[in-house]
Amino acid sequence: MNVLLAVLWKDLISEWRTRDRMVSMLLFSVLVVVVFHFALPADASQLLQTGAAGLLWVAYVFASILGLNRAFALELENEALSGLALAPADRGWIFLGKAAANTLLLFLVQAATALAFALAFDVGLGAVALRFAVVMALGALGLSSVGTLLAAVAVRTRYREVMLPLLLLPLMIPIVLGAVRASAALLEHGVLPTAELRLLVVADVVFLIVSFVLFEYVLDE
Amino acid sequence: MQAGVVDRAAAQLRTPSLLALVALSAVYAIAVLTAPEDSVQGVIQKILYVHPACAFAAYLGFGLTALAGALYLWRDEEQYDRLALASAEVGVVFCTLVLLTGPIWARGTWGRWWSWDPRLTVTLLLWFIYLAYLLLRSFTEGSSRAARFAAVYGIAGVFAIPLNYFAIDLFGGRAIHPENLGRGSLGAGMGLPFALGMATLLVAFFHLLARRLEIEGLRARSTLAAPEPRRSAARAEGSWPM
Repeated sequence: MNVLLAVLWKDLISEWRTRDRMVSMLLFSVLVVVVFHFALPADASQLLQTGAAGLLWVAYVFASILGLNRAFALELENEALSGLALAPADRGWIFLGKAAANTLLLFLVQAATALAFALAFDVGLGAVALRFAVVMALGALGLSSVGTLLAAVAVRTRYREVMLPLLLLPLMIPIVLGAVRASAALLEHGVLPTAELRLLVVADVVFLIVSFVLFEYVLDE
Repeated sequence: MQAGVVDRAAAQLRTPSLLALVALSAVYAIAVLTAPEDSVQGVIQKILYVHPACAFAAYLGFGLTALAGALYLWRDEEQYDRLALASAEVGVVFCTLVLLTGPIWARGTWGRWWSWDPRLTVTLLLWFIYLAYLLLRSFTEGSSRAARFAAVYGIAGVFAIPLNYFAIDLFGGRAIHPENLGRGSLGAGMGLPFALGMATLLVAFFHLLARRLEIEGLRARSTLAAPEPRRSAARAEGSWPM
C-alpha cells in the first residue's frame, strides 16, 4: 500500500513540476471538441443531444492514449524503469500506483473537457454533473488500468506510439460501451442506469485484477 | 534448444494429421456436394459446413495462445512460447476465413455484407486483438521480452473476449446470428457434412499448428547453432531500445 502511495506521489510530483502531460492531454481533447464543431453538420443540435456522450468519449479515449504513451516514456530516461523494477516491492502495487496517477490525470482532463464541451455546444451537463463525474471516474479507472499495463509493454517496442492504440483499443470496448451508454442515459433521462454501471464496475475490476497480476511479468528484466 | 513435450507432440502429429486430413477432405467434399440443398436459402447455405467450423478452430487457436502464454510465464520454457505463437498465427488464419465466409453468407441470406451483430463484432475484435498480438511480437526486440510481452497481451486478450461479448450482447445491437446449434436444429442430411466439416477443419488446424511449430523449432535450433547471433549486441537482451 505504501508502494502504491509512493509511486502515485512520485508521478503526481513529477507531473506537477512540468505539467507536460496534463497540458498536452487537455489541449488535445479540447481540440478534438473543436474538430467536432467542424465535422458535424451546421444544424447539429439534435445530433448533439443524442450523440454528445459518444463524442465526448471519443475525445477521452484519444486523450487517454496520448497520456498513457507518456506515462512510461519518462521512466525510460536514465533507466528509471529498471530502478522501479528493482525496488524491493510487489510490482502489482507499483502498477496500482501508476494506474492511480493515470486515472487521476485522465479524470481531470475529462472534467475540463466536459466543461468545455458543455459550454461550447450548450449541452445540459450541469444538472447531472455529479453523476456524470461518477461515470467519468469509472471509465477513467478502466481505461487507465488496462492502459497502464499495455503502456508499459508498448513503450519498449518499436513504433511505441502506434503500438499502444493497436493493443489497447480492441480491449477497452466494454469500458467505452458501458461509459457511453451510461453517459447517454444520464444526459437523456437524468438517471444512472444500473446495467451499464454494473458493466463498467465489472470491467474495471476484471482489468484491474488481470493487470495487477500480469504487471509482474512486464517489468521482469 | 531443448526439445520439449510440445516439439515432440508436433513431430509425432505431423504425418498422421496429414494422412487424416487428406482422407477426411475427400469424404468431406463428397458429403458437402451430396448434402441436400436448403429449401429457403438455396446453395449458399452450404457455407454452414465451413463457417462455424472455422470459427471453432479460431477460438481454439486463441484459447491455446493464452494457455501457452500462461504456461510460458509460469514455467519459463521456450517451447510454450513457440506454441503460443503458432496457435495465434493459425488462429488468425481461421479467424480471417470466418470473416471472409461470414459476409458471403450474410449477403446471400441477410441481404447485406456486414451487420453489427454481437457475435460478428466480437469475432472482428478478436481478429484485431490477435493481429495486434502478432504485431507486438514482431515489434519487440529480444526474444524473451517478446515472448513475455506477447504472453501478457494474450492473457489480457482472452479476458477481454468474454467481457466484450457480454458488453456487446447487452448493448451493442440486435443479434441476428442463430442460436447455438442444438440437437435436431439441422435439417435432414445436414448433420453428417456438418460433423465432417468440424472434424476436417480441426484436423487441418492441428496439422498447420504442428507444421508451424516445426518451423519455429528449426528456427530456434538454428539461432542457437549459428556462430553470429541474429541480433546485434546493442539490441541484446536487457538493454532498452531507444
